[in-house]
Amino acid sequence: GAGAGAGGQRERQREEAQWVLLAEESITDALENTNCGPVFTRLRNPKTDEASLYLFNSNASQIYEVKAFDENYHSWFIGQSVQSDGRLLFVTPLDPLFLVLPYFLKATEQQAKYWLVDQIMKDEDFPGCSTLLKCPRTLQSVHHIADEKEIGDQKFYKYSQEKTLLWLKKKVKQTVKALKSNNLNVGGGVQSSTFIRSKQAAEVTEEDYLRYAHGLLSDYLPGALSVELLKILGLPDVSTKAAAIEPPLKKRKLTDKPVEAEEDYTKFNSDSKDKKSSKMTAAQKSLAKVDKSGMKNISAFFAPKNKGPS
Amino acid sequence: MEAALLASGSARLQSAVPGVCRAEDCCLGIDEAGRGPVLGPMVYGICFCPISKREQLAQLKVADSKTLTEDEREKLFTKLNDANDFVGWALRILSPNEISTGMQQRSKYNLNTMSHDTAIGLIQYALDSGVQLKEVYVDTVGPAEKYQAKLKELFPELEITVKAKADSLFPIVSAASICAKVARDRSVKSWTFIENLGDVNVDYGSGYPNDPKTKEWLSSNVDPVFGYPQFVRFSWSTAQVILDSKAVPVHWEDDGKDGDKKDTPSVLSFFEKKTVDPKLQSHRYFTERKLVSIANL
Repeated sequence: GAGAGAGGQRERQREEAQWVLLAEESITDALENTNCGPVFTRLRNPKTDEASLYLFNSNASQIYEVKAFDENYHSWFIGQSVQSDGRLLFVTPLDPLFLVLPYFLKATEQQAKYWLVDQIMKDEDFPGCSTLLKCPRTLQSVHHIADEKEIGDQKFYKYSQEKTLLWLKKKVKQTVKALKSNNLNVGGGVQSSTFIRSKQAAEVTEEDYLRYAHGLLSDYLPGALSVELLKILGLPDVSTKAAAIEPPLKKRKLTDKPVEAEEDYTKFNSDSKDKKSSKMTAAQKSLAKVDKSGMKNISAFFAPKNKGPS
Repeated sequence: MEAALLASGSARLQSAVPGVCRAEDCCLGIDEAGRGPVLGPMVYGICFCPISKREQLAQLKVADSKTLTEDEREKLFTKLNDANDFVGWALRILSPNEISTGMQQRSKYNLNTMSHDTAIGLIQYALDSGVQLKEVYVDTVGPAEKYQAKLKELFPELEITVKAKADSLFPIVSAASICAKVARDRSVKSWTFIENLGDVNVDYGSGYPNDPKTKEWLSSNVDPVFGYPQFVRFSWSTAQVILDSKAVPVHWEDDGKDGDKKDTPSVLSFFEKKTVDPKLQSHRYFTERKLVSIANL
């Protein structure tokens, strides 16, 4: 490590990768009673369909998601060393149903029948996904998203969108509650989080809370399900509404004529004879038909007045 | 005079104010030492005496400090200090750390402004101590007319003369320059590093950038992470150039703000259609908090 010194030319030691992580202590609980400590695992992210990092605690009784606070220009001083990766990792509990859900969805898409859970939770890219079934909570709560059938001593499952949406609606309600108790700014306007209003902004509506909670949950859902949830919550889809308000893009008509400036003033200065033959617009034509008797040419108003001496 | 000071802040040292200076109209001289070096503090000095005793001061044979050897300066300073029945002095020592942080902070505090403010502070100190100030003589920093106008505006009741080479023209400025130079020499010599450096080589020469010894010391005392001890003015290009080549690169949030427009998005980009895949766009709860999902550690 490098102390606060300049003691001659020091050999730069290879920086060992370190990371700073915030997690609840219980992650390492039951470490003695098991040979399976906490494990970082890459699993399919339900929203992006791509790899994200998660963590199973000792015994894999709970799944946690790993999020990183990542901002430019940050580094850590850790003990007597420097870590150029200034990220702060958060390990927070996650409902395993969010990670299981896409597999149930996919199985139904394949064939709308009852499946064995081991058949559903199969993923060549992420073999760790079957570990989710070890979390006691997974099988205890899977009835929130699937119909169950027991045959003999085996349980079969079929994804139910109806149930899932009901479950998600409850999640939205819980999230709204949490948003309110944490005094989160869910309003549309941009507002500094360090700015404290003397009273709660009046314009924040229940719909703002619902929409915010929906958006937050959508970060854990496949896109199609997020849209369905929006419908069930009775929230109009903002993105399509906004698209309708946006003016359509102007499209240029394609012609064979050479491109020329729309307002070419030089034309009016030319003496070309074909000036009159130029086509008039409908407005000009109708104007030409107007009875002009008694009307003065506009230039007459600017002509010098030849008043005789009175 | 004790020249020990806090390495990180600034310190003021002063003589007792002679009684006669509170009773009679006085003149005051200001000069600085250690403006150019890359090492050590910059010292501002003032000397004041009654206008009537100007001749007496001249008899002490104070002269521009640059024409004197270190020994002669020390002797002259002792003489000045002993003439405490009519001469008073005060010093402001700006630590190298203060200079570095001032010049490198987000809203730059340049050396000229720092110098001016220090001089102003010392004039104010003399006034606050009851010295009957009438005339002030200053060796200039930057254009003399501007500096004079600035001082005049702050102290309209004083007669202020800002002149280049004032230290060789006015004995009271010469006296101030001797005080400043002696203080600078002593503080560099007796510098106590607040860093735990072990047996650091203290053979750093004069501290001026053109001194080969100073340069050698600078390039052999770079810590790859921290750079230098606080004794070094980080804001000096001499130090910067060595840091750029020998230390680990460090990026700050206001990097490249001056002139470098690489990071400034074009105004057109604000009207562009965002092409971010909605699948990868996370909710504003996360983006506002700079929270991202990660795939790897």
